[in-house]
Amino acid sequence: MAALRASGIVKRFETVCALDSVDLALETGQVRGLLGPNGAGKTTLLRVLFGLVAPDAGKVELFDRPLEWPESDALEGVAGFVEDPSFYPYLSGRVNLELLAELDGRAGTAKIDDALARVGLAGRGDDRVNGYSTGMKQRLGIAAALLREPRLLLLDEPSAGLDPAGVRDMGELVRELAGHGVTILLSSHQIVEVEGMCDSFTMLRRGRVVWDGTAEQLRAQAPASAYHMHCSDDARALELAGQQRGVRATPSQRGGLALAVDLGVLDSYVLALGSAGVAVRRLELLASPVESMFFALTSDSERPRNEPPELAELDRRALAGT
Amino acid sequence: MSTTSVLPVDAPGSSAFTRPEDGIRRAYRAEVRKLSSQIVIRVVALLCLAVPFIFAALLKVQSGAPADTLYGVWVHSSGFAVSLVVLASAGAWGVPLIAGAVAGDIFSSEDRYGTWKLVLTRSCTRSDVFVGKLLAAATFVVGLQLLTGLASMAAGVLLVGAQSLVNLNGTLFSPGHSALLVFLSWLTLIPPAIAFTAVAVLLSIATRNGILGVIAPFALALAMQLLLLVGTGIWSHLLLIGAAVFAWHGLFNVHAYLGPLLVGVAVSVIWTVVCIDVSWALLRRRDFAGTPVSRRQGWGGPVRVVVAITAAVALIAIAGNWGPAGVTAKRLRTDLTPAFNQLTVLQQRELGRHVPAGAKLTLVLPTCNRRGSVPYGPGEWICTIYVQTPSPGALPSQPTAVAYDVSVNWDGCYKAQSPPAFIGQQMMRDAHGHNVVNPLYTIYGCFDPL
Ligand SMILES: Nc1ncnc2c1ncn2[C@@H]1O[C@H](COP(=O)(O)OP(=O)(O)OP(=O)(O)O)[C@@H](O)[C@H]1O
Ligand SMILES: [Mg+2]
Repeated sequence: MAALRASGIVKRFETVCALDSVDLALETGQVRGLLGPNGAGKTTLLRVLFGLVAPDAGKVELFDRPLEWPESDALEGVAGFVEDPSFYPYLSGRVNLELLAELDGRAGTAKIDDALARVGLAGRGDDRVNGYSTGMKQRLGIAAALLREPRLLLLDEPSAGLDPAGVRDMGELVRELAGHGVTILLSSHQIVEVEGMCDSFTMLRRGRVVWDGTAEQLRAQAPASAYHMHCSDDARALELAGQQRGVRATPSQRGGLALAVDLGVLDSYVLALGSAGVAVRRLELLASPVESMFFALTSDSERPRNEPPELAELDRRALAGT
Repeated sequence: MSTTSVLPVDAPGSSAFTRPEDGIRRAYRAEVRKLSSQIVIRVVALLCLAVPFIFAALLKVQSGAPADTLYGVWVHSSGFAVSLVVLASAGAWGVPLIAGAVAGDIFSSEDRYGTWKLVLTRSCTRSDVFVGKLLAAATFVVGLQLLTGLASMAAGVLLVGAQSLVNLNGTLFSPGHSALLVFLSWLTLIPPAIAFTAVAVLLSIATRNGILGVIAPFALALAMQLLLLVGTGIWSHLLLIGAAVFAWHGLFNVHAYLGPLLVGVAVSVIWTVVCIDVSWALLRRRDFAGTPVSRRQGWGGPVRVVVAITAAVALIAIAGNWGPAGVTAKRLRTDLTPAFNQLTVLQQRELGRHVPAGAKLTLVLPTCNRRGSVPYGPGEWICTIYVQTPSPGALPSQPTAVAYDVSVNWDGCYKAQSPPAFIGQQMMRDAHGHNVVNPLYTIYGCFDPL
């Protein structure tokens, strides 16, 4: 059964077309990554799915029930948040959750304690929310979503603001929930963060779906990975790269070489360097295949699909630390 | 994040997929909880409780009286008058302030905290949340208003006493009767209080600006009080909620008239329904799409509202003469004369003189004239009552002229005051040697303007 089926969603804001006939379908139990750069329309799509924004066209079904705007019963069993979760700052985290549980008609102290514990806020639940850090609010947002015992979880940039441990816990939680059959749609512009959690991806760019499919399909279609390599003789390595099929190399701005190469080809290239007497001192992954694909599909330059992003661009991103 | 509890997986049709009943009740309860934990609301509640006591305590330590307010001169004589004076200020600006503080930010606070998306993604629909908030706001406004009323009655009775109240026809209402009427009067404030709440809600939703929502009902109430001062007609005045808050005046005549009260209730209902309809129309079609990029920030919204309100005020001011005049010489004369008569009897009894039941002064040709170009309408009047003094030695055929300066409101309520030549000083010493208010010095009265 489809947990979510959206078709032909269009949403315009005065001058911008935030969503341009977007189709999206999620089977029950899927974990879907909704990917796209800033302004791609991820948040707007989630707002439409939550009934917060009425689309100009298109329709949505949640668990085979049509979603209506501005109010709909179809949203039962659906939880999550859009943008950074916000709460009543003058109330404690626990009272905030109690209010939400009241609205849900599912009051129960035990549940609230459990939800707080799950997100690691057990000790801070009685503090006022205006004293919470960004990451703590994010955790409280997740707790608020869990209180609804959702069958479909819509999370907008769930790991934004979380510390590394928080990101890891978030991943575990998503996998655990998925293991219990909860369908999850999570948006992000940081593909590395969600790559390991998702079994399928939808990529948005300027309000349009530019790619949609499973993780395997993505890996199969993904272009070469990008690496940064330091070796004993850059000139010789560059020459050898020219002789080897499937290896593209350019001198990097920060010294060494930038490479675009598939994993199998990389092995034989490194062996070839060795036999030619060139020592490989360091080899680091700049972008995974999925990342390369993401950059390729969603970057604003009009490059044909599946073409690897310019190595120089990846190199620049690596320098910028993104 | 611990991974202890296990989530069951339900199929559609099971409880996880059906919205629980009574969304309005749940939204209401959540809203009540939010409101009662807000510091502003707690402060307002404290003020509602404390201000009547402070007022009554001040009256205890000083002799002045708010004579311009109906029943003002009686505040030292009966605790019920204290409550009525508090009621008059509550109606004029207290209730609008309470309505603004409670309801003016009840919707816009969700914008300020960014919590609409939180509330609207739970198991309450948009209309549940809307109705729940409305009901919670109305509960608090009415509750705080009644709290003020009960506090003022308690303060009056405890600090001044539960003496009989002089009614507007110059006779006495028993303490029980007075208490009942004062309480009923506080109840008549409920419909206009709800109307002010609806105005605050509308502004809160339309402007998404908490400050405007809080201040505007108060500003509107003041504007209405000013509008009630202009024009001689009654129709446009009756359309204002500001008139409904004084409709209780009619209850204090021996033969209470309910016309203005019923009109006030109807007008409050109309204001409420219109404001709520517009509010819901705005909220219903609203997109909760974050902070819109192109939305005019800052002064655009407030300026438009101010312009609209100014236009409405100008229109109503121009329409001030619309309809028949509620205040005429005949009505004033026929109301003041018997009151004067009764109050004279009351005065004589208080002074310990024997007045047989049914005794009357012989009054000749009382006249009332309005100062100003038009001979009818609210404003300053002079009424002259000719009294044939029964005192020994006076010529029976020689009437004494008693002139009263009368300021009359559009709704037929007036305050008449006369120089002490005939009627005596403001305070007099009664038969038991107590200093008491001279009932003839300031006469309050109300006649039906409809
Ligand atoms: N309320 C609004 N009014 C006008 N334009 C809007 C509004 N909300 C979003 N937009 C526009 O719609 C487009 C999509 O915005 P959206 O917030 O959905 O992007 P996003 O993918 O979530 O981006 P990010 O990664 O930065 O969160 C943007 O061009 C944005 O400017
Ligand atoms: Mg976003």
